Amino acid sequence: MKTMSKITIGLVAAALLIVGCGEGSKAAPSTNAKVAPTITEASLGLRKTDLYSEDGTSAAKTEYRTATCGSNIKIKRAFQDAPPMIPHDVEGMLPIKIGDNQCTSCHLPEFAASMGATAIPVSHFTNFRPTHNYDGKVFTKSIDNMKNEMAIKETTHLQGARFNCTQCHSPQSQGNLAVENTFEATYTRADGANKSGWSGTALTDQLDTIKGDGGKVTDADIANKNSVVGSSIWTQH
Amino acid sequence: MSLSRREFLKSSAAASAAAAIGMSVPAELEAAANKAEGGWRWDKAACRFCGTGCGIMMATKNGKIVAVKGDPAAPVNRGLNCIKGYFNAKIMYGADRLTRPLLRMDANGKFDKKGKFAPVSWKVAFDIMEEKAKAAFNEKGPEGVAVFASGQHTVMEGYAAQKMMKGGFRSNAIDPNARHCMASAVVGFYQTFGIDEPSGCYDDIELTDTIVSWGSNMAEMHPILWSRVTDRKLSDPERVKVINMSTYTHRTSDLADTEIIFSPNTDTALWNYIAREIVFNNPESIDWDFVNKHMVFAAASPNIGYGMRKSNEKSIKEGKYTALEMETISKEMKTIVSEKEAPALAPYGYKAGDEMIHNQPGLKHWLIEFEEYKKSLEPYTLEYTAKISKGDPDESIESFKAKLQELADLYIEKGRKVVSFWTMGMNQHTRGTWTNTLAYNVHFLLNKQANPGEGAFSLTGQPSACGTAREVGTFTHRLPADMMVKNPKHRALVEKKWQVPAGTINGQMGQHIMRIHRDIEDGHVKFAWVNVCNPYQDSASASHWIKAAREMDNFIVTSDGYPGISAKVSDLILPSAMLYEKWGAYGNAERRTQHWRQQVLPVGDSMSDTWQWVEFSKRFTVKDLWMKDVKVGWGKKDMKAVPLDKIKAMGYNENTTMYEILFANDRAKSYKIDMNDPVQAGYDNSECSGDSRGVVGSDGEVFTGYGFFIHKYLFEEYAAFTRGHGHDLAPFDIYHKVRGLKWPVVDGKETQWRFNAKYDPYAAKATKETGNSHAFYGGFLKKRPQGDLNGIKKDMQLSYADKPGKHYLKNKAKIFARPYMDPPEMPDANYDTWLCTGRVLEHWHSGTMTMRVPELYRAVPEALCYMHPQDAKDKDLKQGGLCWVESRRGRVKARVETRGRNRPARGLVFVPWFDEKVFINKVCLDATCPLSKQTDYKKCAVKIYKA
Repeated sequence: MKTMSKITIGLVAAALLIVGCGEGSKAAPSTNAKVAPTITEASLGLRKTDLYSEDGTSAAKTEYRTATCGSNIKIKRAFQDAPPMIPHDVEGMLPIKIGDNQCTSCHLPEFAASMGATAIPVSHFTNFRPTHNYDGKVFTKSIDNMKNEMAIKETTHLQGARFNCTQCHSPQSQGNLAVENTFEATYTRADGANKSGWSGTALTDQLDTIKGDGGKVTDADIANKNSVVGSSIWTQH
Repeated sequence: MSLSRREFLKSSAAASAAAAIGMSVPAELEAAANKAEGGWRWDKAACRFCGTGCGIMMATKNGKIVAVKGDPAAPVNRGLNCIKGYFNAKIMYGADRLTRPLLRMDANGKFDKKGKFAPVSWKVAFDIMEEKAKAAFNEKGPEGVAVFASGQHTVMEGYAAQKMMKGGFRSNAIDPNARHCMASAVVGFYQTFGIDEPSGCYDDIELTDTIVSWGSNMAEMHPILWSRVTDRKLSDPERVKVINMSTYTHRTSDLADTEIIFSPNTDTALWNYIAREIVFNNPESIDWDFVNKHMVFAAASPNIGYGMRKSNEKSIKEGKYTALEMETISKEMKTIVSEKEAPALAPYGYKAGDEMIHNQPGLKHWLIEFEEYKKSLEPYTLEYTAKISKGDPDESIESFKAKLQELADLYIEKGRKVVSFWTMGMNQHTRGTWTNTLAYNVHFLLNKQANPGEGAFSLTGQPSACGTAREVGTFTHRLPADMMVKNPKHRALVEKKWQVPAGTINGQMGQHIMRIHRDIEDGHVKFAWVNVCNPYQDSASASHWIKAAREMDNFIVTSDGYPGISAKVSDLILPSAMLYEKWGAYGNAERRTQHWRQQVLPVGDSMSDTWQWVEFSKRFTVKDLWMKDVKVGWGKKDMKAVPLDKIKAMGYNENTTMYEILFANDRAKSYKIDMNDPVQAGYDNSECSGDSRGVVGSDGEVFTGYGFFIHKYLFEEYAAFTRGHGHDLAPFDIYHKVRGLKWPVVDGKETQWRFNAKYDPYAAKATKETGNSHAFYGGFLKKRPQGDLNGIKKDMQLSYADKPGKHYLKNKAKIFARPYMDPPEMPDANYDTWLCTGRVLEHWHSGTMTMRVPELYRAVPEALCYMHPQDAKDKDLKQGGLCWVESRRGRVKARVETRGRNRPARGLVFVPWFDEKVFINKVCLDATCPLSKQTDYKKCAVKIYKA
């Protein structure tokens, strides 16, 4: 019953969204009223210093956190299921090499709790990539891409595709941002800011971006007869 | 969605059972099973960033993006993104988004080039653009109007810009920033295959045994492809070998079995060394049946310059370049053959100390015998190659030689599949086109090209460098689907499709992106419009172009989401809708085209670049653009007005606008806005229907939309050029139903391996009679003269030709003789260090988007000067301390990093270019490959000292 009510809420909200798209942001039409030119070149953008000389310009300094790993400090996820950023010093832990991935020695689920580390979630143990068929002579796909087919398998080992931790997770420098960002995270799960919930059936949630039969590729789609300008110019001469 | 509870439970059980045993489940059933998480609308889209072309799922709530995840149904990335990919969620929400047009003006509200900026209406913005573009057109002809286009343009935007420039303005002065990243690859494709873009696809990664990365830090620049490489490597660590070829150690080295650090520019020697190992020492490894059926051999002149300014150009004569700069630029005309390059140039008749006069056109090439090709390889012994190419002074020559031998052995090993990937290291190179062709040589000789798991594979840098810049053809010389401006037949085909009079399109071209900068500096281009790129931050010798923009009589417009350097130095800034605020399509490096729908409304009054082009077109009539006799080709040639009778015959008159002809014609209006169309239902379309913001448009009235589906019209019209022409794109609607398709898409099926008769319907057709395994059916540059290494020989008849003169190499590709040559600027006593620039994982290009995402900014807030600890010590520099990086062109300050992700050997530093405050392109040299005109950002000489 719980699942059912969730679906219902989802459908109602989606309907509201479609009807009410953007209504809230109705702005007054802009005018041609004359405005005094006050915006200087230097006031715009990330570099507020003279663009024509480098003497007075230096980069913002990198100041990563110095907390050691295991000190149990966490950085909130930027949004639901966003990759968490690294809250501790990584000096001496990088680079990641085959046979030398120091991240896993604390973050693998079997060690994480005792190390006070965030456990690598189940999505990282899930193989999303279908294995196609190739006998050395002929290649065929194991899924039908015209139907958006998938082959998803939970495994017991960290997936090779997710071996390079620093591809998604990074230490964070302290200090001011160059520019603020107005993105607002909202969560559908209470612990969404702290925990990955991307597993099981959630992995494939709402992937049918055009619902129902309208989302199927038909022979009529392929024939494309209604496209006035779409037929090949090369068959015409 | 109407599922009963019973159906839901049934499909849910089916899905989890299927997941548990790893079988395939149709996405629709799967998704139906998992309809959960209320209030969010999820839709598919393409990632904004690199050429990998990952699929993302994007959630919106109340008109804002709230989350992004990797799309499990997307074949490229299967549920995974890199750090930038995830943070697509935040790129549109930097607090300083441009929301109104900004114009430099005086206190009276009039345009003033020296004035500060003030917000103006779209009407005022288009009024001044119209005035300035018309003035430039009338003074300098069509080419006085130029566009900096982009590999990040959507397909529709690029097509709209191309149509208005080439069909409307009759100007080919449009060129994309993709010139800087892919041009050498493109010319390599044209010269080798006669058609652009790779034979292979990303599935090669899972099918191969060997991945060799050449001048490509895939781990940072194509992270998802690297995750696939990593997965492949870890799945069979003994069999699968990974080799990293680079001028410095970086993250791609971290996974590699072997890392080969070579001296900048010597990759040409390394490729020739491998070919020599094949031809001289392992001739049995050559697949002669394949080579005889599918290959010819070719050569070209070495004395072609380095793509810098020539001594007779205006700004050189006027003394706009300093004596220090001229030390390097003078090499454009003449060099002295060095000891290093002399052996490689011996087959071409040069020896050390000879003067080389650079006076040959780079693109010219001709056919030769295999024996001549063999002669060109002779110098690349292990001894010579190792001597000139060893890049780490602390590595022993024996160790380096052993690695080179291992590399060659892996390529040659029978039954071993090899994929060679490359990006900017090979493309940004004063012999970049040559190096691209050298890669194919090795794969061709071994018959390891265009087969599953085997091939030389050029990776693209930008998300639609392939899809827009190359396929649509926003380069100066191109028209859609590999057609050429120079070819009168191609112009005629395009004119017919566009329904513009015969003779409208200008046959004169050559305004590559550096040429546009130089033409602005020479005072030839008077109006330039920057689209989806940042040419005033991303171009080498940057101070020259900024000075020309700010101090000369011209008008520069930049359309952008944020105020980057280009916006700052412009006269007018236009606020652009960003990626998910508009409908669009991108094409990635494996020929995959991907579409998305408008997810949210644009911020402020910003509108898409498509809209900006279409509104601009309303300001120009037939009389303005077509009915004047004009000068073209830098004022050297006449181009006649389009005759009025031809104009009238098409149903137009003097006052018909370009808008009516090019964009809002009857064909376009047949593409309806229809909320019952499953593709459109529930989605905004700001250009076609207006939106709830009620933006006041270019005529001073609230913009209520074009009333037809312009994106679909533009895409379908463009696609008509590709269909039946080896580039077939699928219908618009299909792309909204599937996760992208690799062209050519024939009868609803994508193509995995081009030129291979088993997989490519065009190759199958071409080999129907011969039964051959492959057909390299590209049609460009296929009739070539004959000769030897030293030139064309009129009366010569090669063993594989049936008569002297031009030989037609139908369905064949070329193996090229190309020598190693020095770049024009190398370290010396004064400037003793190589400078290489490039990207980092967390930032995209000039950082205008990613520096505004908190997580990405905090990951890498500054561009560091990565260097060897010993070099730092020798120069009295401290880790984390500031240093100056100075070349003959300028200097910047950066912090020293001796233990970071990039670890150069002694003698080289790496400084990325994303940071406006470490403006490294003021230091870099604007030398280019003379064939491709692509800038070499990877090599110049600098000195480093304490700041």
